[in-house]
Amino acid sequence: MKIVTKSFLRYLPRRLSLSLLQLMGVACGVAAVVGMTMSAITALASFTKAVEFLSGKATHSMQRPAGPTEESALAGLARDPAVVRFSPVIDRRLRLANGDLVRFLGVDPFLDRAIRPEIADAEVRPAKDNAAGALSFLLDDDAVLIDKELARQLQLSSGSLLQTTRGALRVIGTFSNPSGEPLVLMDIAHAQKLFTLNGFVDRVDLILADESGFRGRWEEGFLIQSGRQRSAAFSAMLGAFRLNLEALSLLALFVGVFLIYNTAMFAVLNRRRDTGILRSLGARRYEIIAAFVTEILILGFIGGALGGIIGYFLTRFLTALIGTSITDLYFFLRPEPSAWSNWILFAGVALGCGASMLGGALPLLEIVRTDPAKALSGRVAGRQSGRNAHRTSLAGLLILAVSTVLLILPRTHIYVGFAGVFGFLIGVSLLTGSVLVAIHPGLRWVLGRVGRLPGKVAAGNIRQNLGRTAVAVAAFMVALSMSVGLGSMIGSFRQSLVWWMESQLQGELYIGKIGEADVPESFYEEVKKMPGLGGADPYRNVQVLYRDVPVYVASVDASVVQRFTHFGWLKGGNENWEQVKRGGVVISESFSRRFGIKSGDTMTLHGAHGPAEFRVGGIFYDYTTEHGLLMMDRSTFLRVFGDHTINSLAAFIDPDNPHRLELIQEIKKKAEARGLPVQTQSQLRASILKVFDNTFAVTRSMRALAIVVAFFGIAGALLTLFMERRHDFGIYRALGFSTGQIATMTLLEGLGMGAVSYLLSMGAGTILAVLLINVINLRSFNWTIFFYPELGPYAWTAITALVASLGAAAYPIWKVCRTYPQMQIREE
Amino acid sequence: MGRGMGTGVTGCRLQVTSFLLLLSTILLAICMLVSLGWGAQEGAWKQAVEPWKWHFPRDHGAHPEFRTEWWYFTGNLMDTAGKQYGYQLTFFRQGVALQPKDPQNSWSIRDLYLAHFTLTDVSLSRFWCDERTSRTGPGLAGAAKDGMDVRLLNWSATMKGNTILVEARRQDMELSLKLTPRKPLVLQGEDGLSRKGPNKGQASYYYSYTELQTNGTIKTPGSQTALRVEGTSWFDHEFGSNQLAQDQVGWDWFSLHLSSGQDVMIYLLRRKDGSPDPASSGTLVDRSGKATHLALSEISVEPLSHWKSTQSGATYPSQWRIAIRSANINLVVGPLVANQELVTEGSTGVTYWEGAVAGTGTSGGGQVTCKGYIEMTGYAGSLGGVF
Repeated sequence: MKIVTKSFLRYLPRRLSLSLLQLMGVACGVAAVVGMTMSAITALASFTKAVEFLSGKATHSMQRPAGPTEESALAGLARDPAVVRFSPVIDRRLRLANGDLVRFLGVDPFLDRAIRPEIADAEVRPAKDNAAGALSFLLDDDAVLIDKELARQLQLSSGSLLQTTRGALRVIGTFSNPSGEPLVLMDIAHAQKLFTLNGFVDRVDLILADESGFRGRWEEGFLIQSGRQRSAAFSAMLGAFRLNLEALSLLALFVGVFLIYNTAMFAVLNRRRDTGILRSLGARRYEIIAAFVTEILILGFIGGALGGIIGYFLTRFLTALIGTSITDLYFFLRPEPSAWSNWILFAGVALGCGASMLGGALPLLEIVRTDPAKALSGRVAGRQSGRNAHRTSLAGLLILAVSTVLLILPRTHIYVGFAGVFGFLIGVSLLTGSVLVAIHPGLRWVLGRVGRLPGKVAAGNIRQNLGRTAVAVAAFMVALSMSVGLGSMIGSFRQSLVWWMESQLQGELYIGKIGEADVPESFYEEVKKMPGLGGADPYRNVQVLYRDVPVYVASVDASVVQRFTHFGWLKGGNENWEQVKRGGVVISESFSRRFGIKSGDTMTLHGAHGPAEFRVGGIFYDYTTEHGLLMMDRSTFLRVFGDHTINSLAAFIDPDNPHRLELIQEIKKKAEARGLPVQTQSQLRASILKVFDNTFAVTRSMRALAIVVAFFGIAGALLTLFMERRHDFGIYRALGFSTGQIATMTLLEGLGMGAVSYLLSMGAGTILAVLLINVINLRSFNWTIFFYPELGPYAWTAITALVASLGAAAYPIWKVCRTYPQMQIREE
Repeated sequence: MGRGMGTGVTGCRLQVTSFLLLLSTILLAICMLVSLGWGAQEGAWKQAVEPWKWHFPRDHGAHPEFRTEWWYFTGNLMDTAGKQYGYQLTFFRQGVALQPKDPQNSWSIRDLYLAHFTLTDVSLSRFWCDERTSRTGPGLAGAAKDGMDVRLLNWSATMKGNTILVEARRQDMELSLKLTPRKPLVLQGEDGLSRKGPNKGQASYYYSYTELQTNGTIKTPGSQTALRVEGTSWFDHEFGSNQLAQDQVGWDWFSLHLSSGQDVMIYLLRRKDGSPDPASSGTLVDRSGKATHLALSEISVEPLSHWKSTQSGATYPSQWRIAIRSANINLVVGPLVANQELVTEGSTGVTYWEGAVAGTGTSGGGQVTCKGYIEMTGYAGSLGGVF
């Protein structure tokens, strides 16, 4: 190894604390990227796998456009010449006693074996007391098969009872399920009984030989989807969510690379003096470059590898979070964190080295170009001139201008929006140098008031060492802005949701639960007739296809809803329901934006008797689904879809009804007698907010990650400054500074930089929140979130900034206190 | 119990490469339970004890009061180019419970229906098979009680007037044949009560159409297109509630059409020691359709060579010398294609050989040729106590 390189590498253990900090910087950056991207990929892949596993060998599926399908269609399918195999399926979800929701399939094992042979490979072990053994699957009302993973989790085996909200089910065997979705399997006869679906199935999975012939015979009144259409529909379901994860991965990449870049840049800047010495001793330029590159690569390599490992463990945590969100919102999923692979290490190392090289390149170029004598003087180059800062700011302004154009361009792809947001962050971060120059007098005054002379010196130091401080402040500011921006966006979203709940969820009681416990029609009739009741709204929410993409149709009692709720309308008021009463629909904002449909337009849906036309009576704000929701009156819904299912029943009581409380109790009693779940208005609202909070768990993790990045950014900068100026402390000592004063100075430098970063982030973060709401959310979810300025995110971020600054300054201060007495002005 | 019971739990490896453990266990469980007398606790499955009062066409239909019932079609066919084929289409009804648990629910099980469909292409020396299983369900399978109309998904056998229509179809294999009896139906055993063992109730009700003029179309995976065919079929209908005794390991069943116009049915129940069970017997049908019961003492069946299956490892007789002394019939019969074995995974099902055969010999002193079907069970493991 070349002597120059050796001398460089010797530096690393010599300044162990700084080296470790730099290493951690790279590692955290890599971990953020690896963790986020990998868990997003894993969760989405397990979703795809689950869809594929459940579709089995089916080429097509057939069902009524809404609601269950009559089983009488099966005899015709059995004889249809295009049908190679078919299997009726009851596809529901089942809530276990522990609160988990699992997928439940009711199938006929004889018919289903051609579609899903894996499931039929179940191991059935007859229990000792049960002579019927495997036959009990067909004969016993409560017999189920569960997948091995679920059995392991719940510690169940053949003969044990699986406790669910629909009663205890007896496990008679297990089967292996390669998909990430917990699965319970029951014979179709008992499944019909369990879900009160006598005579109906949810869909029929088909293997077709002649699609066009089959469509010709069955398309009227049925929805026939090919496997590709089905998975496309599923993917579309997850589209916005996927986008969200992609955005978060990109964000992680941005933050991670920024951190590594920062770290590498400090590593290079640190060594200006050393390069000066080496150059003046006769080292050649390329030797210096080789030495630097080696050092950066070692940093990138070890940091990257470490980051890969940390990222892998982060993946395990994030994957579970994402799985919960997907389960809450779309599809029951139990994503398995992917197994360890050396590729993770490889990716980490590549990312670490790549980003480090990127970070080191510019300063390195500058160093090798610098006159050795100048470099020797050490601090000159570190003290970036104001002019330099202004040049950087100009570039920043240019990037901001481009970003603005990207952001205001109408109807562009969401990725353009992302580019705009990232551009904004980069642009703002490039402005920090100028900002530091501009606010220097102010900072000097403030720090001077707080810390007297050491304060003034601290302010001067921040201004003097712009090359380092500007970068540190920029990194810290970006991280804090993300914290403010994401926090404000989530807060505003939550407030908007609360407003939406207040406008729509006005029922006293909600009986039944969508996807879990349907309400029998007879119960609805019974409740409706109760004297004194203001109204009962039988709510049905079902997925249908509109222009080949999944949307939701809800059926309501328009008169009741009109009387008791006050929807948030884009235009008009509750008179919009008049159109619904006349057979029309009202649509959600997301539906309107997604398909470009306005009030007064006419739209067509495929019903059980062919196409049906609807006039749109109004557009309402809605946050329940980004896919689009349309509401129609129950009478219209029954006429078009013939689906009598009621998912939940909302009971409305006039607030001035003197028997209000008695009525509520009476309805509760009736519902409980039928084993129907009852939620009060506040319980329902709380459960919606819980789902909301779960959904943003991943985003919050990203926020936490940003804070970690911020910490390392500011700590790295402070430590570098401190290391560089060790000999300055000798001068301070000679000038009569006490240990306490030096400590105060170091502390104020940290706090000063933190304060500037925080002030900048208040502005940048607010703008970021506005961009997230008005560009990213609007474009990916098609809904308007109202910006509610909240103190919370700002306060939290302020505390974070303070703690991070203090934490970052702590080590240098400790170092000062320990070594200050020995510090001498050896070199001067 | 007689021929065919075995196929109730078999499947063909050809198409069901990963035969489903669950399904097999279920089917095996049914058979085990049946053998354990599980159904008998209810004490209500009717036993084949008394002679049956036959009424046709009603008795072509289902007899759900008995636990097991099957409709069995086999035939030897020839296409317009003179190529030979064989087919088997069998429907089984296996009673699971006398009453479905939930009569309101169409999926609640009373009977399971199973069917086997095979085609043999003699010129290509190929054999294909497929199977179906279904409960009655919402119109998925079933058999009428007032006449022959048995269906399992898109496989069916229906009788209208004097013609039976048998149809079966999967993508590359089709069968659509019209069968018209050339001879009146034959009541097997004693007036249709066919003994299968020494004990009371160890018997079934059993009748046959031994010679059915057959024409229609078939499509084999080898032919790609539908072929016009004609030939002769054999039909058995059997129902009962009991099974093989413990010491019976399997059976050999022969159905032969002689060029002299005679038809021969022989079934031999084999015991563990290799000797035929005394309940074994046969029937000889003359040219006019007159049937004569053949006692075991009148029949001699001697295997001349053997064939070993590479799939199951079982060794089956592959050529027989058959003699019916009372009728002066001497035949040497062999398979038209060596491998006509239906295999399921060893542990789960029953493996058996059932295929088209042909032979030559003498009858009443004159030279004859013959064609027909032979079924051999219990060579790949004993069936005793299971059936």
